[in-house]
Amino acid sequence: MIRVLFFGPVAERVASREMQFEPVPGMTLHDIIARVGMQYPGALSIVSFIAVNQVQTSDRQQILRDGDEVALMAKYSGG
Amino acid sequence: MREPVRLQAEDFSLDAEITALKQASTRIGGIATFVGCARDFSEGREVSCLRFDAYDAMALAEMRQLREQAIHRFDLIEARLVHRIATVMPGDNIVLVAVAAEHRAAAFEACRWLIDELKRQVPIWKKETTPQGDAWVSAHP
Repeated sequence: MIRVLFFGPVAERVASREMQFEPVPGMTLHDIIARVGMQYPGALSIVSFIAVNQVQTSDRQQILRDGDEVALMAKYSGG
Repeated sequence: MREPVRLQAEDFSLDAEITALKQASTRIGGIATFVGCARDFSEGREVSCLRFDAYDAMALAEMRQLREQAIHRFDLIEARLVHRIATVMPGDNIVLVAVAAEHRAAAFEACRWLIDELKRQVPIWKKETTPQGDAWVSAHP
């Protein structure tokens, strides 16, 4: 499975901290984001950072594989 | 001795962290610290409490990387970063940066750099509770 994680303000909008998707060969980060966006229209408008396996990325064409962990995150506000 | 980089719910002890820093070396000539704490106001509103959320695994990885970068960049002897992930009340501690160097200039610069980069790079979010309702904070001056 591909796990998609949400935290803070994004988790609140999605009303969940995690979703799981069955991996499909060739599935990209863009595909996953689109699927989440379809289920929760507007919820991802505050997403500013994306991480795959805890590493920040901006490459939405990145291919995802079984076991990958995606995080869709709003601007950080720690400290 | 506790890990130099931590996320934790409970408060931290500045004395304990400085003691831990000093145990690293007797070459230390200066220690600089920054303690971020909860204010009871924000942008003109009263704030009764703050709640933090974090992507723990990534936040810890980023904080460890920042510590390593700071040690190399400022020639530090040791550095410690602690952030609370909890509900905190006005006056409570939130975050600690403590660094040790041979001389004060490096310690001051590294401390400032670390808290700035922590705010910029570490996936932690805070939510303010105010009389007007709860709101996630999106900016971090």
